[in-house]
Amino acid sequence: MHDATTRAGAQRRRSAWLAGAAGVAVAALALTGCTSSGGDGDDAGTAPKTTIRFLYATGDETWNSVVDAVVEAFNEQSETTTVQLDPLPAGSDYATALKTMDATGNWPAVVDMRDTLTYINAGKLAPIPESVTELIEPEAVGSAEDGNVYTVPYSALNGEIGLNIVYNKDYFEENDLEVPETYDDFTDLLADIKANGDEPLATAAAEVWPSDQLWKQLASPYFAEWGDEGGFWTAAQNGDATIEDLREPLQELLDITNEYVLEGWQSTADAQTTTLLVNDMAVMATSSAGIGRLNDINKVDQDFNAGLFIVPGEDGSINVLKNAVNGDTAGGLAISSQAAEDDDQYASATEFLEFFYQVDTANLMEANGWLAPNIVAADEIERNTSIPGAEDYFALLESPNLVWYENVSDLSTFSAFNTFFRQARIEMQDGQSSIDDTIAKVQAEFDKTVAAG
Amino acid sequence: MTDQSASQGQTQVVGAAVRLSGGGPLDGAPEGAPDDVSFVPVGPEREQRRTRRFRSARWVMLGFVAPALVIYLLMVIVPSIQSLQLSFTNWDGISPDYEYVGVRNYEEILTSGRFWNAVKNTLILGLGSAVIINAISLGVALMLDKVGRWQGFFRTAVYLPALVSGFILATVWKYLLNFNFGAVNTFLRDAGFPEWARDWLGDSSIVVGVILFITCFTLGGNTTLIYLANLQSVPQELTEAARIDGANSRQVFRHVTWPMLAGAVTVNMTLAMIAGWTIFDQVMVLTAGGPGFVSETMAFFIYKVGFGEYRAGFGSAAAIVLFLVVIVSTVAANAYMRKREIQA
Repeated sequence: MHDATTRAGAQRRRSAWLAGAAGVAVAALALTGCTSSGGDGDDAGTAPKTTIRFLYATGDETWNSVVDAVVEAFNEQSETTTVQLDPLPAGSDYATALKTMDATGNWPAVVDMRDTLTYINAGKLAPIPESVTELIEPEAVGSAEDGNVYTVPYSALNGEIGLNIVYNKDYFEENDLEVPETYDDFTDLLADIKANGDEPLATAAAEVWPSDQLWKQLASPYFAEWGDEGGFWTAAQNGDATIEDLREPLQELLDITNEYVLEGWQSTADAQTTTLLVNDMAVMATSSAGIGRLNDINKVDQDFNAGLFIVPGEDGSINVLKNAVNGDTAGGLAISSQAAEDDDQYASATEFLEFFYQVDTANLMEANGWLAPNIVAADEIERNTSIPGAEDYFALLESPNLVWYENVSDLSTFSAFNTFFRQARIEMQDGQSSIDDTIAKVQAEFDKTVAAG
Repeated sequence: MTDQSASQGQTQVVGAAVRLSGGGPLDGAPEGAPDDVSFVPVGPEREQRRTRRFRSARWVMLGFVAPALVIYLLMVIVPSIQSLQLSFTNWDGISPDYEYVGVRNYEEILTSGRFWNAVKNTLILGLGSAVIINAISLGVALMLDKVGRWQGFFRTAVYLPALVSGFILATVWKYLLNFNFGAVNTFLRDAGFPEWARDWLGDSSIVVGVILFITCFTLGGNTTLIYLANLQSVPQELTEAARIDGANSRQVFRHVTWPMLAGAVTVNMTLAMIAGWTIFDQVMVLTAGGPGFVSETMAFFIYKVGFGEYRAGFGSAAAIVLFLVVIVSTVAANAYMRKREIQA
């Protein structure tokens, strides 16, 4: 009897405890559900601000710090808008992330865009208002077929001048080496470094996109020859050029990889090339980050004396691809159509982009090691020349040997072909495929891309 | 006895129906009848009552299953059927409209060297991991079965890798196997074996083997525990009888234990093969299909073209092909392995 009474009492106490715990859990869930995630942010006693999300890729540390600084500065001064950062993790597949966002109806208001033409055609982007585009130099913005501007640049449109060879200046001085002025000088430089018993060049291919870093510098003189035909890819689409025309730069790429590139490049990540350089495991490294790479090196080792150059052509010309302001390869900041359906969201996105192209914001970007976009008031920007090696970058922009060329493709699935081309080149460099087979394979893929439209 | 085939055709339903009525299992049994639940007399009236009770119980059971079934249909079956429909289109995964292109996607897949390379890698990883995982897991389970007091500790240690997601384990291995700075090569170089240091994830001749190794490392825990559970349910009297007849340990394993494990082998091989056919995490993290295309698997190929290259229709067609490969191989393997299973 006593035991039954004791057990009954214990059971009642247990039931009461469980009920209390359940009540606490429900209350916690209710409070969590009450937290605002996409609606208006409140400050006590002030009008509610509109919160918008800004999606951006995080592979570049310099860009990450610029975004943080710009958004913080914007949020401090805006009375109507709060920008919430929505970073895409490094290494994420961009297309997958955007498709997932689209499938779940979760577009942010401001998006750092890739594969732009595909999304414009699908109606996923809203036109950028004139109040934003009039702040930017006309050459830096391009309109789509319908006359609207859908993307605006987030950095200086200096084309692919950021595709460089970054090198150890101290090593060059100690070994009496010079920056090459012709392609033959470049191959001699590689041979001289190797003759010293050192590794001439580090490059990366763990992520597929860094394979462009060496390739494009070698191929640019050949691409530039097709400028009058609208660019190489346009000529290839029209049947005036073929992948066979790229045999020479492909051979150069293969020879340099086999003889002068640091072992293990197949699994080396792009960010790791900085580590290899500052640890003297290679004298030079490929880069596509321009001044941003110099900034990264300076953060890692302030005593490292870095410089950069672009591999010149046989005639000494420095051929650099102009930015595409149209087409599938054009990128930049965009406003999503989903945000444009909400007047407040669209107004807030516009306000943020207008702030993005102010002189003070440009100065903030420069201070963080980023090249500010080509705004109309560019003369007022205080350029950052304090990063070691930055003078080399600005000297390239002023070089009398600099030759800008265009190479835009209007194929809607060109980015997919480009990915295939990169992988096929890596396969060739790795010795899995001959140049002949690679050319045939890439040509077949390009033909399919053209047929698909 | 844990062999599922042994439980087919038994009269548990009769026993349950008897309990619902409140009657004892042996009510109505003639005197001297064996003490066996299966011997429940079921005359016509009792049969009708049992049928009515079962029908109402069935609706209750369906009511409990329905929510999960609806979600499963909406999340798995309907999208799968839609994949079949999309496989005949040129949808890019983003645009609101698309065109039907007939079997063009299938033609392109079946004539694509890249696809067949992915099939080859999938076969290597699928079959290879199934065989290796099962062989190693069985060996570990046999050892665990003999361990006395510390069995719980070792069982936990064996199972721990299975608790960590494949993605995280692959990330850890990626750092360990880094050519320049990874722990494996650093150890080899410091130990005086620099020639053994390899580009484990960049050498096209070994990269698939490395992925196979890491996959086996990840998936062994569950398989081991299934074997261990089955080993511990092998009837002791059979092994004792074999030993009395003069069988040594190897003969006992070959003629008594191994046949009794047939059901577990079927389950484990099937699960391992399916995991191998659909391997994705390890490839994505370790190599992204590279260098070049050399380590692409079918699942990765589908992801790459369907999501990364805006060719959702083409990716759907590849997914259908993968589905057919998995179904055919799994059914065939199951049919073969089922024949070996012992009926109790």
